[in-house]
Parts: sequence; structure tokens; C-alpha cells
Amino acid sequence: MPDTTPDVERELAALEDALAGRRVAPELTELGELALLLREERPEPSPAFGVRLDAKLAAGFRDPEPRRASERRWWTPLLGAPALGMAATVLVITVIAVAGPFDGADGGGSTTDGGAMSATEGGAESTGGGATGATPGAALDEALPEAARSSGAEDAATSSAESLPPSVVPPTAGEGSPGSDGRERRSVERSASLTLAARPRDIDAVSARIQDETRRQGGFVVSSTVSSSSGGGDGTFELRIPARNLDAAMAALSRLGKVRERSQRSQDITAAVVSARSRLKDARTERQSLLRQLGEATTVTATQAVRARLRIVSEEIEQARAGVRRIGNRAAFSSVMVMLIADGSVAPPVQDDNWTPGDAAQDALRVLEVAAGVALIVLAVALPVALLAAAAAVAARWSRRRRREHALDAV
Amino acid sequence: MPSRTSSRTLDFEALYRSARDDVYAYVATLLRDRAAAEDVTAAAFERAYSKQRTYKAGRGSERAWLFGIARNAALDELRRRKRSAALTAEPADTRATAPEDAVETALRRAAVRVALAQIDPRERELVALKFHAGLDNAEIAAVLGVSVSNAGTQLHRAMTKLREAVDNA
Repeated sequence: MPDTTPDVERELAALEDALAGRRVAPELTELGELALLLREERPEPSPAFGVRLDAKLAAGFRDPEPRRASERRWWTPLLGAPALGMAATVLVITVIAVAGPFDGADGGGSTTDGGAMSATEGGAESTGGGATGATPGAALDEALPEAARSSGAEDAATSSAESLPPSVVPPTAGEGSPGSDGRERRSVERSASLTLAARPRDIDAVSARIQDETRRQGGFVVSSTVSSSSGGGDGTFELRIPARNLDAAMAALSRLGKVRERSQRSQDITAAVVSARSRLKDARTERQSLLRQLGEATTVTATQAVRARLRIVSEEIEQARAGVRRIGNRAAFSSVMVMLIADGSVAPPVQDDNWTPGDAAQDALRVLEVAAGVALIVLAVALPVALLAAAAAVAARWSRRRRREHALDAV
Repeated sequence: MPSRTSSRTLDFEALYRSARDDVYAYVATLLRDRAAAEDVTAAAFERAYSKQRTYKAGRGSERAWLFGIARNAALDELRRRKRSAALTAEPADTRATAPEDAVETALRRAAVRVALAQIDPRERELVALKFHAGLDNAEIAAVLGVSVSNAGTQLHRAMTKLREAVDNA
């Protein structure tokens, strides 16, 4: 910043004095006269121009002359497209950000629903066991009191069938005619598996809710293993759910965490049911026959022989009855395997249908989190754009100013 | 209660009445073209009218604000024309020379006119702002975007060159 010297100050003051009509120092009289001469050289507008401009003012400059083409800014037409594009980008990001966090709560993820249904009619009952197929069968036998009493030949056959996926278990021809296999009332064994993810701190709570939900659906927990630590945890649950409640139970369980995987499988076990019932019926028929023979026996030897056979048949009846109950339970109860894993990125689980103040606080917190996330994303997108736009505006302003000054230099 | 730096209502009509001829004089001196000066003056007032809500009292006087707009309009016109100082219409001396005017004064007036055409456009602009538009040094500084002392220094330099040009004319 230049400092004015006393001489400069004095001459500038003399100019002001001359213009104001004040007396100027004698040695600066010439400068004062020059100032006055310059003022007298001031161009004056023509009266006609004054009238025109006054009229424009009176009209509020509402009809300004159209801007010359050369004065139009080339970038003006481009303003619309980037603005619209940016607005659309922000909108899309907002929608994604808002929609994303709630995906897991309603059972999204890599759900593989509706597993294979194999119609393995007529298990290999007549060949020493039923190829009735699925893994849950063995577990059910262990879990149910009735099933635990015996492990028939069918279990062995079941385990052998495990090596084959249900969809490729070959149906055995000739087993069960339409009239004998109860085709009008099929027995279906259903099983399901579910992998849920929850926040590490929610592992215990979700585990408890899995068991509560199981009981609420009329089922029970066959086994459960839960481990939790500060950094994570997991759990495994083997559940039995009444088959009629399986869908509702799966839906309810799916709401307890982020569904990573879900599968359901159905297996027709009508043939096995029919076989078990037939075996029981045959045993009872034989018992009736033996009882008649016992009544007709006249010798001690014959009587003893019949009694010995009766004991065997009675055991067979008990076994057949257990078999019927076991196979019935397989149809009545579905096996559900739930795997619970810890995942820090998972949203908090949905509590229940009753909306409590705690839920409200949690929802409010969640809304704030989402809003903050959206704001952060928008900021992350908008800030660089805004900085670029500001830099461009400053550069454009600087450039325009420089061009203007250059225009003055070129005069 | 409005703060000191907040915008206050601009009496545009009063500003127009007080500054119309000054703006024209400044622009005409800068462009050295009376017809263009009329267009630019009108354009400057139109811009000012449409931008009057953007006026901030804290940034300078109303006149300084208006002359800033007029200056930009004049420089835009110079850019548009993209030609140098060749006069298309040298401002004519509309004032009839009184017979009783001393010859010395007439000669000196002519010398000033010639000198004004010879000096640097930036210096001529300073002269126009000071003596034709009647701005004080603070207003000139605001229009040019420099400090008041810098404006004074530039004005003094312009006057020195003008005096030299007058002496040589």
C-alpha cells in the first residue's frame, strides 16, 4: 500500500479545495485551475437521452433492451443440466441411504426360500427301512419322548438316505397304491434352516428371543449352543415347531435379526406313515389270532408256545406303535435349525409388535442415525461439488475481472 | 433494528436523479463515444435497478456501488467492441466559447482536452471519476477496489501525467 508523501497530500488537498471553491495555495494555483478545467470538460448527456432514461426509470426498467448475443454468457444454458443432474444424484443417494438400513429387518438378504420338495413315495419300508429321507428325521426321533424309546430300522435307512439330496431320492416303485398310501391325505415332513445375523451386543438377547418365539409357536428347543464375547459370538439352535406354525415361526424368527440365509424343505413321508400303521395293524391282527389260539390251546406245551409268541408280538406292537408315533411326529413337528452369527453392521433387531417408549426412543435414534448418514453422504457428494463450483465461480469472476481490466488496457 | 452492515433500503430514484449525469460523464470519458455512453449508462442503470436488493450499505456508498456497476458495464462494452481507443465520436465541446473568454483560457482548455485523450486509459478513468463524476477519493477507491491512499496516489500520478501532457500539448 503506497504511502502518500506530504507533497502528494498537499496537492490532493489543493484539488479538493479548488473543486470546492476554496482558496488554493499560490504555488498550486495552476493545479487548481487544471482541476476546474477538467470539471468543465465533463461530458453532458443530451436532453433527449435524459428524457428516455427517465421514462425507463418510470417504467421500472421492465422492458430492458434484449441482451446482445455477444453478451450472453455461453455457460448459461448449461446451468440447467448439471443442476438437474446433481439434484437427481442427491435424490438417488438419499433414497439408497434411507432404504438400505431397513433391508435386513424384513427378511432380505440371501434368502433361499422354499427348498426342494421330493415326493419320495413309498419309502423302503418293505426292504427293511424307509428311505424317508431327511436329516431332521433322526433329530426328531431323539428329541421327541416317543421317538426316543426306540431306534428302529428306519433310522438306519434314514441316515443312508442323507447322502442323497432330497430331490434325487429315487421313488420306489410299487410302494403304496393310490388306495393304500392315503394319497388323499398326504403326510409331509417339513424342515427349515435359518441363519441370522445380529449385533454382537444383541447375541444374548436374540438368543433368548429365539427360544421365546419357539415356545410362543408351541414348539420347543431340542438343543442350543450360545457363545458370546465382547467382540462377537454365535449361537446354534435346534428347534421343533408344530408344522402348522412353521411359516409363522419362520417369519417371526426372521424378524429377530438380519437374515443371511433361509431355506425350507418338504418331504412326503406318506408311504412311511402307511407302512408304520400297517405294521402295527398286522401285529395287532396277529395278536388277536394268538389270543384266539391261546383260548383254544389244550396242552401246556401249546399254551406256552402261544404265550411266547404273544410276548414277541406284543413287543412288536409296542415297536410298531412307537414307529407310528415317531413318523407322526415327523409330520407334526418341523425341524428348524437356526444359526445365529454376530455382525457389527447389522441394525438392531425389531423388538415386538408392542410399541413402547423404549421402541420410540430406539426408533428416534435410528432415524437420527439414518438422517445423519444421509446428511453425511449428501455432504460428501455436495461438498466437493460445492467447492468445485465455488472455485469455478471465483475463477470465472477473476477471469472476467481480468478481461475487463485488460479491455481497459487495450483502449 | 438493522445492523450497521446490513442492507438498508436503497432510494433508487433519488440515486438515479443525483447520479444520472455523473454516470454518463464518467462512461463517456471512459469510452470516448457519446452514443455508446448513452447505451452503457442505460444498461448500467438497468443492472443497478435489478440488483438494488443486493446493495449493502456496509460495503460502500450508494454512488460507489452504482459506479462499480457502471464501470463493469463500460468495460464490458470495451471488451465487446475489442478495439482500441480510436474515437468514433469524440465528445464534442457543446459549450460555445464565449467571445469574452481569454485566448489563454481557450488554448488551455483545448490543451487539456488533447492531454486527456493522450494519457493512459486508467489515468483517464481516474480523472473521469474524480472530476466528471465527482466522486471523492474513498468512493474512487471503492469503485476501483483499491485502498483510499492507493486511490489518492494513483490520482496524483494521473494528474502529474496530465499536467505534463498539457504542458507538451
